[in-house]
Amino acid sequence: MVMPSLAVRLAGLELRNPLSVASGTFGSGREYSAVWESSVESRCAPNQGAPALSALGAMTTKGVSLRPWPGNQGTRIVECASGMLNSIGLQNPGVEEFCANDLVWLSGQDVPVIVNVCGHSADEYVQVIERLERETAVSAYEVNISCPNVDCGGMAFGTQPAAAEAVTAACRAATKRPLFVKLSPNVTDIAEIARAAASGGADALSLINTVAGMAIDVRTRAPVLPRVVGGLSGAAVKPIALYAVHRVSQAVKLPLVGMGGVRCATDVLEFMLAGATVVAVGTHNFTDPLAVLRIRDGLTDWCASEGVARIDEIIGGLRI
Amino acid sequence: MSEHADGFAGGGAHGPARTAPLTPLLESCTVLANDMLAPGVALLRLAAARIAGAVRPGQFVHLALPALEAHPLRRPLSVFCADAESGSIELVCQAVGEGTRHLLAAAPQTTIDCIGPVGRGWSPPPAARRVLLVGGGIGAAPLYLLARELTTRVAHDSRVASEVHLVLGAQSARALVCKEAFARLLAPDALHVTTDDGSEGVKGLTTEFADWLLAQQCFDYVATCGPAPMMAAIARLAAQNNVACEVSLERRMACGIGACLSCNVDMRDGVRRACVDGPVFDAQEVSW
Repeated sequence: MVMPSLAVRLAGLELRNPLSVASGTFGSGREYSAVWESSVESRCAPNQGAPALSALGAMTTKGVSLRPWPGNQGTRIVECASGMLNSIGLQNPGVEEFCANDLVWLSGQDVPVIVNVCGHSADEYVQVIERLERETAVSAYEVNISCPNVDCGGMAFGTQPAAAEAVTAACRAATKRPLFVKLSPNVTDIAEIARAAASGGADALSLINTVAGMAIDVRTRAPVLPRVVGGLSGAAVKPIALYAVHRVSQAVKLPLVGMGGVRCATDVLEFMLAGATVVAVGTHNFTDPLAVLRIRDGLTDWCASEGVARIDEIIGGLRI
Repeated sequence: MSEHADGFAGGGAHGPARTAPLTPLLESCTVLANDMLAPGVALLRLAAARIAGAVRPGQFVHLALPALEAHPLRRPLSVFCADAESGSIELVCQAVGEGTRHLLAAAPQTTIDCIGPVGRGWSPPPAARRVLLVGGGIGAAPLYLLARELTTRVAHDSRVASEVHLVLGAQSARALVCKEAFARLLAPDALHVTTDDGSEGVKGLTTEFADWLLAQQCFDYVATCGPAPMMAAIARLAAQNNVACEVSLERRMACGIGACLSCNVDMRDGVRRACVDGPVFDAQEVSW
């Protein structure tokens, strides 16, 4: 039998496979690249000679802002049942440093680069994109209007349709590159925000960002995270994410990047059946640094055993 | 690791004495033994040939909890002892929550997936002749390989570290879990035990004893690990006595390889990652 094709097309991008990583769980890929390269598990080892990151369909970076953001003080994570809360606060060195450093490195990794963009105001998102427009290594933008861990900006744009549309439109005017908007599940109706982002000119939607949650330390009677709220991720959120992808796929015609609690090839297939073209692995990278490589091999195995010649055949193939 | 240098993480804050850590390895380790040392504290012995051969004093391993899907986060544990010849490592594990309680119950032959060795370990000045180690509770564990290396150096070269002292403190005699191992390494008059309740050694805190010792004798390097207030106090004492001091900090961690920025340490000049910029830091650069 011929080797099944894992290739997919996403908003004009040709991807080797439908796998990416959730922004913020993978840095700029350097650390995981090093671990992948040193891995002795031959089946998981990246292709001989090729850069390790080329095993991904697309690399999604940590959020990049106009100026350096220091991130949140004090405890930033806490484990909860089948998941974790984070309150990193989008710590990043700013777009200049990102371009001078990580982006230069990424340009040699033979993988499409999706830069996650964050800001305190619509104008800041636009300025980050304007700076990145000068860089050839960027394949697409993912506009982060859904982070629950910053006071100003972040999720504030992603929970009101008018604000979501306005930020999207402002970013749209700044670039002809594929523009993705990352949606928050912390809304009454995610389909409404999806339609607003579509009206604003988004080429694709990423969903979901983390679910707002909290943890309490009974001993101190205080919240574990100093900002009280954190973003829940991991297997605990998978059913929420899957339903959000299904809902949004029914509401808009845009291609989707699905994510939330993905741990195995079967999870990826579920998201694709629900309507996702690309599926990102997030928190599970922490549990298993080789997760993406194992999942990639699992998808090939599944396609071969099911007689699926091209994995893109199953996108949106949910039978209801 | 110069390629990690950016505005917040990595960079040239440390002197040239700090060597770059190698990329951590992934290793499937087998539990060889898991013995209770005290209530809620176990000595976990793992077959981990690659890690045992590569680990430096002060580094840690990042363990996946075996078959516990409800606990997705790995647990960082300092390497207490390593033997490259037999390919084994020893970890001192304290039950803090449900995850670590499961680790305490891991039966021999259980497979535990480890990332390691991770992080920057201890960097005593090459010329350090008189060294003071201060360990509180199971915080003494990451000091053992350092003590072993320094005392071995003494045996081979009389020009280097001529004396290694340890102040080892715990709440009570039962909680002095690492004492026997240190007693085999150090001269009896260089092992100073303190307990909060006076059930063994001097009644009182490690910091009180270290204060007294630093006033009595000259040291040129202090290394400490234990509860954060203890380390902050030791850092202050070292500064007052003009002695170089390193601390090993503990943080909640997710990736353990430097990517996720969960294990933030506030330094005087910005934020660092405990996992790969530490866990050992120059005490005077930490923002206590």
